[in-house]
Amino acid sequence: MNAPTPTQSQSQSTGRPVAPAPPDEGGALPGIFTGYAPRPGGYDELTDQRGGVRPHWRSLVSSLDRLGHEELTLRWDNARRIIREHGVTYNIYGDPQGMDRPWELDMLPLAIQPAEWHAIEAGLAQRARLLNLVLADVYGPQRLLREGHLPPALVQANPGFLRPCHGLPMRGNIHLHFHAADLARAATGQWWVIADRTQAPSGAGYALENRIVLSRILPEEFRDCQVERLASFFRTIRATLRSLAPLNPDNPSVVLLTPGPYNETYFEHDYLARYLGFTLVEGGDLTVRDEKVFIKTLEGLRPVDVILRRVDDNFCDPLELRGDSFLGVAGLVQAVRAGNVTVANALGSGLIEGAAFLPFLPGLCRHLLDEDLKLPSVATWWCGQPKERAYVLEHLDELVIKPAFRSGSQQPLFGARLNAAQRAKLVASIREQPENYVGQERVALSTAPVWGHHHAEPRPLVLRTYATAATADSFSVMPGGLTRISPSAEDPVVSMQSGGGSKDTWVLSEGPVSPVSLLSSRGQPLMSAGPSAAELPSRVADNLFWLGRYVERLEGTLRTLRCIVLRLSGEAGADGSAELTALAQTLVRRQLLPERFLGRVPLKDLEHEILFLIYKPERLDSARQILASVRGIASIVRDRFSFDTWSILNKLNIDGRARPRRIPLAEALAMLNTIILDLSAFSGLEMENMTRGLGWRFLDLGRRLERSMQLARLLRCAFPPGVRPGLLLEPLLEICDSLMTYRRRYFSGVQLGSVLELLVCDPGNPRGFAFQIEALAAHAENLPREAATPGGTAEERRVAGLLLRLRAADVKGLGGPPDGAPDEGLATLLDDFQVELGLLSNQFSHHYFSHTVYRVS
Amino acid sequence: MIYDLAHTTIYDYSDVVSLSHHVIRLQPRELPRQRRLQTALEIDPAPGSARAQRDYYGNEMSFITVEVAHKRLQVTATSRIEVLPAPVPEPDRSPAWETVREQLREEEPGTALAAGEFLYDSPHITVGPAFEQYARPSFPAGRPLLAGVLDLTARIHREFKFDPKATTVATPLADVLKHRRGVCQDFAHLEIACLRSLGLAARYVSGYLETDPPPGKPRLAGADASHAWLAVYCPVHGWVDVDPTNNLLPSQRHVTVGWGRDYGDVCPIRGVILGSGAHVLKVAVDVIPSHEPRFPFAA
Repeated sequence: MNAPTPTQSQSQSTGRPVAPAPPDEGGALPGIFTGYAPRPGGYDELTDQRGGVRPHWRSLVSSLDRLGHEELTLRWDNARRIIREHGVTYNIYGDPQGMDRPWELDMLPLAIQPAEWHAIEAGLAQRARLLNLVLADVYGPQRLLREGHLPPALVQANPGFLRPCHGLPMRGNIHLHFHAADLARAATGQWWVIADRTQAPSGAGYALENRIVLSRILPEEFRDCQVERLASFFRTIRATLRSLAPLNPDNPSVVLLTPGPYNETYFEHDYLARYLGFTLVEGGDLTVRDEKVFIKTLEGLRPVDVILRRVDDNFCDPLELRGDSFLGVAGLVQAVRAGNVTVANALGSGLIEGAAFLPFLPGLCRHLLDEDLKLPSVATWWCGQPKERAYVLEHLDELVIKPAFRSGSQQPLFGARLNAAQRAKLVASIREQPENYVGQERVALSTAPVWGHHHAEPRPLVLRTYATAATADSFSVMPGGLTRISPSAEDPVVSMQSGGGSKDTWVLSEGPVSPVSLLSSRGQPLMSAGPSAAELPSRVADNLFWLGRYVERLEGTLRTLRCIVLRLSGEAGADGSAELTALAQTLVRRQLLPERFLGRVPLKDLEHEILFLIYKPERLDSARQILASVRGIASIVRDRFSFDTWSILNKLNIDGRARPRRIPLAEALAMLNTIILDLSAFSGLEMENMTRGLGWRFLDLGRRLERSMQLARLLRCAFPPGVRPGLLLEPLLEICDSLMTYRRRYFSGVQLGSVLELLVCDPGNPRGFAFQIEALAAHAENLPREAATPGGTAEERRVAGLLLRLRAADVKGLGGPPDGAPDEGLATLLDDFQVELGLLSNQFSHHYFSHTVYRVS
Repeated sequence: MIYDLAHTTIYDYSDVVSLSHHVIRLQPRELPRQRRLQTALEIDPAPGSARAQRDYYGNEMSFITVEVAHKRLQVTATSRIEVLPAPVPEPDRSPAWETVREQLREEEPGTALAAGEFLYDSPHITVGPAFEQYARPSFPAGRPLLAGVLDLTARIHREFKFDPKATTVATPLADVLKHRRGVCQDFAHLEIACLRSLGLAARYVSGYLETDPPPGKPRLAGADASHAWLAVYCPVHGWVDVDPTNNLLPSQRHVTVGWGRDYGDVCPIRGVILGSGAHVLKVAVDVIPSHEPRFPFAA
């Protein structure tokens, strides 16, 4: 066996170092960097050992200095506002901040000089080519194993080696369409690869977003520094993936497969899908028929040619891979086997993510490419080999012990930090299953300035770089990358999961950079045509439907609460407290208030209850909870909305930090007004800006259903039979936004019969019941259906029945005589409407959204 | 010996299933001492697509998709198989078990490549000290590999109770070891875990066993079942089958369908359906020596 023992280490480098610029005199740190003091002995990106600014940073540094503290702070705030507005988030599991944590971007970029970058770039392109060849061999002829270039155990004991994926055909011989490497710079200035990501690398979308934000807040610096642009890299990804479509080369359909909105990098999946013009799908949106992959749309199945996956390979097919996965597509492996679809990266490519491969790369590179490995990896010893195992056990204190193969949760162990018992346990584990462990030299990280509060401080960094296949023999490297920084100057652990931040990476160019940008003035990608209306996955239709329902539920709830708050705060005039009593009774009947409010209403008590109804997160029917549902659903379908529409949805917020009882009514009222206005803006954009495709139809369907249900319920609770409506009529018209119309139309005082006529029967009142039912009828008629549906769909028939019932009823008469109580028949009618609407909602769901998958074995 | 095999699986669904995919491994593979005279796979309703292929281990595998709405799926595999007797190994002529272990781990590919596939943890079999501890008494220093394997097989047969109610497919192997109960699949997994814990290579074998009808009674239709055992790798003899459920060396009464690292690699039918509701499963297996009179199949 000629597998090499690693002899490289950071202290005694054998690779050709990627040399940093020589130290230089004369670059003194300018004012805004006063106090910037990197730790001695380490490598600092900004300053050399003598504390002078390295030449390639000078123009940037002096330009920033000219801006001054105040301007920099302003711009930093601006950057954070842009990030909030764009909704750039990163979800951290078990994080108290919960979902949708704002992305952390530092305002100082990492600058890399041209010559240095050329060397890194060549190294990365070579590495991706090499890893692609290794994958092709292991999933093919396995000559490397038979001829002794790779120990078989490296593959056979590796849970990343997916047997069902052996021998799958690969278009263009590309297994590794997309490769990421984490680089660290040692004290000598040498860059080292510390990890490869070959499964479904994340971060490229965040790198792009970082660039968009930073080039907006530092436009002159960005231009003057001649920074290499990222757009061409993404163009290559797009072109490569489109070129790999097996069946429809002329008009390929490419999708981005996401695990869903709970994934930590979901923002990026959505962002990249839009930027690249791919349809964002979850496993449930896809289906395999006749060994081909299709996307389930409301108008039937549409073929899929290429899948860019962000789901780990083992979870991609419950039939042949992990049976407990709900993220994949049953039959996908067979579709690939039949040569009908391309999956990128290839299923099984996670194999080489393990650190155990690192020591073998120099030998493999000479064997497969007849070249020396250009970028060295951090020194690593795989315990599956006896000599290496002995070395690791002898040098436990100096090494980091890691799983040899990438396997989820297992954390690296620092030998020196273990107590005797932990150490004994680790040694026993290594002896028992040596092939599962590697020892790795501890990595020194370089530091770069991070803009803290009004000053810059040095923090350790790791640079994640990206390469994409143009062909199997030629990889393009993103000129830049995602620079991640550790949360504090002392903490050597750099990962987004542990809460560090990120930087834009500026690769400086030797000459002028063409100013072509793929971005609009908004910073939104121009390239994306967006998913076509025809390709509306039924899951998305389902979510839009519920978004419509929740938005409407939120508005109804807010309007009701505002009506009460107005009267509680005395802003509604003299009749306030009498109206309050009547309103409170309505809310008791709606089961929103406890029974004690049926009698006399103590105002302070009512105020507390109403504040709870607005703010209390534990109450599922509180405005705050409903709003949380709106945001939750909206974030899942945000690729369906324009930037403006999304900004409004993203802005909706009920501040829940204060204890509800302590919140002044005036503040609550102002908040209610703001959100009601924002919701009106959302409805306006929906009506004016959204294409009348199926997406809009389902959103509006949800809205109309909810509004009609809410109205029937409200009227039912407000006007029980035999009780004179008294003072409730005006507040009710106010809740339904129909007071002005009423006053214009009926000059006499407010009568229940006339109110019902306006709110129930008048098809011209967009807040009224008849209007909603007619809209529902139009939707039911226009939704896709199976070819022959005699007499219409079940939904059409039910809506038609509702309309007939409505038109036949003497609603005005059911209101009773002037100043009298409503008739028993009103309650019956409204109860029937509620039941029918509930059934209608179920029918729509069942017809269009059900796609449950069950497993048998 | 020639057998006529019939293996019928029926899924009855409570609701209509609009789409189903199944991967089927029911057709015995060709082997030096096993000839396939005839084999057929019948699916009802007829699948929209069906493809026969070989998996990574060379087992016969069919991928079928049923695209018409159905409430019942019936899969029937029938084969006529001739099985020749297995050579009787001489346990004492096999090398010491430690020698085999060293050979399997040595860095020259060859032995390691062939058997290495069955040396490490697999999805259903995670080794650990408890399995090594159980296996140790059968493997004193220097004992010939096969002598140790036969002893371990006999101990499992003696110390474990066959109990179909004790376990399911999902029961962890550690529980089988603790409660000392299970079915053929559990015993095969257990012995594989014991051997792998010692650093030996063992693979899971799926197949059928000819059973005798009760004395004086006729053979009952559908009374047989799938069976499972294991094979251990010996550099001298190659792969040697052992059956811990019955404490014997499989020969002419065992028909091999295929093998893998564990049950998951050779599961007879694995499927995913689109539809809601539960299903009821019925399985009927017949292993009939061809010299016996045939009777119509009744599930």
